[in-house]
Amino acid sequence: MSFSQVMRHDFPEEVPRPGRLAALRERIRHIEQPASHGVLPFGVAAIDRALPGGGLALGAVHEILGIDGDEEDGAAACGFIAGLLARLRMGPVLWCLKRPDLYGPGLLAHGLDPARLVIVTASRDEDILWAIEEGLRAPGLVAVIGEIGRLPLVAGRRLQLAAERSGITAFLLRRWRNSEEAARERERPSAAVTRWRIAALPAREVDDLRLRQLIGQPRWRVELLRCRGGVPAQWVVESGVVESGDVEVADATGHVRLSPELADRPAAAVDRKEGRLAAEPLQRRTG
Amino acid sequence: MTEKRGGSLPNLCNAVPADEPPFATVTASGGRRLIAALNPAAAKAGLAPGMPLPDALSFVPGLVTAPADPAADRAALTRLAEWCGRYSPWTAPDETDGIKIEITGSAHLWGGEAALVADISRRLLRQQIAHRIAVASTLGTAWALARHAADAGAPALPTSQDERAALAPLPVEALRLDPDTVQGLRRVGLRHIGELYPMPRDALARRFGANGLENSVAYRLDQAFGDLPEPLSPLGETPSRRVRLSFAEPIADPADLARAIERLVEDLAARLAREGMGARRLALGFHRVDGRVEHIRLGTARPTRDPRHLAKLFAAKLDTVDPGLGVEDMILAVFAAEKLDPEQTEFSPHPPAAGVTILPPPLAGEGRGGGIASLLDRLGNRFGLDAISHIEPRQSHIPERASIYVRIEEKRGSASNVIPGSPAGRGPESMNTGLWKMDSGLASSARPGMTSGEPTGNSRKPPRPVRLFRPPEPIEAQWVLPDDPPFRFTWRRRQHRVRHADGPERIAEEWWIEDSAADPRASGDRVRDYYRVEDEEGRRFWLYRAGLPGDPPPRWFVHGIFA
Repeated sequence: MSFSQVMRHDFPEEVPRPGRLAALRERIRHIEQPASHGVLPFGVAAIDRALPGGGLALGAVHEILGIDGDEEDGAAACGFIAGLLARLRMGPVLWCLKRPDLYGPGLLAHGLDPARLVIVTASRDEDILWAIEEGLRAPGLVAVIGEIGRLPLVAGRRLQLAAERSGITAFLLRRWRNSEEAARERERPSAAVTRWRIAALPAREVDDLRLRQLIGQPRWRVELLRCRGGVPAQWVVESGVVESGDVEVADATGHVRLSPELADRPAAAVDRKEGRLAAEPLQRRTG
Repeated sequence: MTEKRGGSLPNLCNAVPADEPPFATVTASGGRRLIAALNPAAAKAGLAPGMPLPDALSFVPGLVTAPADPAADRAALTRLAEWCGRYSPWTAPDETDGIKIEITGSAHLWGGEAALVADISRRLLRQQIAHRIAVASTLGTAWALARHAADAGAPALPTSQDERAALAPLPVEALRLDPDTVQGLRRVGLRHIGELYPMPRDALARRFGANGLENSVAYRLDQAFGDLPEPLSPLGETPSRRVRLSFAEPIADPADLARAIERLVEDLAARLAREGMGARRLALGFHRVDGRVEHIRLGTARPTRDPRHLAKLFAAKLDTVDPGLGVEDMILAVFAAEKLDPEQTEFSPHPPAAGVTILPPPLAGEGRGGGIASLLDRLGNRFGLDAISHIEPRQSHIPERASIYVRIEEKRGSASNVIPGSPAGRGPESMNTGLWKMDSGLASSARPGMTSGEPTGNSRKPPRPVRLFRPPEPIEAQWVLPDDPPFRFTWRRRQHRVRHADGPERIAEEWWIEDSAADPRASGDRVRDYYRVEDEEGRRFWLYRAGLPGDPPPRWFVHGIFA
């Protein structure tokens, strides 16, 4: 329904009465926040609390960023997305990328069955955008992942609208070729509902001296940089690769788990640049 | 053989206004410059093809010339032959100056041969192409009549019974013979085809058959009379099904073209539905008033006959079509079709489920396949079907072979109607998942929604990265002991200090596999020792050392990155 039609038919030219006014407000809220397709809870109270509706909005566009060197490869972001997809309902997923470097066994380790993926390889951002948009219009897909560098605001809005209309969730994995592109794109306003940044963190130090040289549980710093209707926040998350017999934190799926000493703190309190330093105390184990 | 009818349109030079100055194209032959072709004004002045240019210039000092361009001529002729596709799917250029059209079975669509010829004639004149047309039961007769009997505005249309008589007065050249054979016939006084009729065929074959079959008089006569078959090999592929739409007035507006596409695909869909088939490969030809044909070619991932879907696919490519001054015909042709059962209808929109529901596999399957198939078509038609793939597990412990990208199309070949992501399409599911499990070593988390239990213990393999580089990227590494992982390495001009490392995991070349699918740069490494390393930032890489530690000098690669 176009707005002009609304004006003509639904708003009689008389003074609105209180009841009407309430209805009008309701309608406006509806226009501002279009059809909700529900949410995907992380299953971790600390994160879900920070998200409006108690989870990641479905039928919306979410941006996932890497950090530093990983802005180019998007490995941590890829693992994060794989974990989320694993928790979405079953069904095919379209993954649009520029070079096919996804590795099935690795995805599976994060809970994502690679057989669900339809992979489209295209070399240009415009083509990736086109493919994402087509995917968001295809009934039957559960989600669309686009590994994309340049994302103009208007294109982002189109994706958001397409996602809202179809209820298909889009994850834009931002991969930047170099620091110039990264710097330019990071500052660009975005139409996505949320923007996340995933950074690999050094594993927790282990007490056992014999294991000290070995790699421990992978950990991420998960930053919610931007969230429509929510507040930025950050967490330290231990990825769901169940390696040790360690069962201190086990959520229902085991795909994304929070580190035991997790702190749920607004990112505003931490300077972006010093994020890692501020998080440092969290990584040291007391005992 | 008698049913077969060929049409021929020789002598395609532009019909030009009478006051046009004499013009000729010139070709170089053995150091001499000869007239290749000329316009009517030049012909009237007494010039002829094959005449040396200096002689021609002495006749007509003001002769305008241009170098002959046989390639462009051929291309133009092919284009025109393609345009003639509006009359029949079987058309082809004939030598350098004609077009042959098989009109058996299509003449009635135009109200008979005469009406068809009149239509061709009218349209060619509009394009300013001078032409002569003949229709006959055989190619040979049509060829002869078009070149030696027909005239502009007076096509040769003998009835089947009259063809023999119509050929009789024509010169023997009309039998498609080489000049030597023609000379030979002339020398014995045989000038017209009719004079050959009473001669015994075997005597003719003996006397005038020395220059090869193509120039054997008897052979050519037999062809002309239809005693020997002469199939027409059409331009390109012959479609299995064709739907045509003609417009009284040429159309050029994209909206009109889109509407026409809708009508065509509806016609085609109805026909395919009757036959229980679905199209896999199609072409839509736009026949322009200026004699050019523009095409949209499509391939589909699955047989389809959904008119909405097909129309969408064509519409998406409509902007690649230049309608020029207008399109007078559109022909939709199917080149490949496959069986498609009636119940396999597409577009079953499922409302997106609210909230999170993890549907058991059977519910997430078939119905959605349709939507996916049409998506694959749209993607495939933009990027090519090569660009769409699927990750599949393989039983190999060489990392790059354990998970490979398989083109969606190839996957279709192995099991029909495979829809990626739908469990039904994954073939024997247990086998497939089994492979993944084995390679990831993480059976417990393999399937969301299932009980996530403890790790499976002994059978586990070391973790695998989410990104795998093909080929592996070389790095500069520094290490202490031969068996150690590096303590520092440089990759993409960035230095990484290794804080922790796991390994080595030794992976040996699969010597029993002949043709190594691995990258040539990486193959030849009989042994790779893999290390999982964590740098100061916490990024984790999958490195390997190629060759045995003792051998000189070890080379290091980064093969992947862990999430």
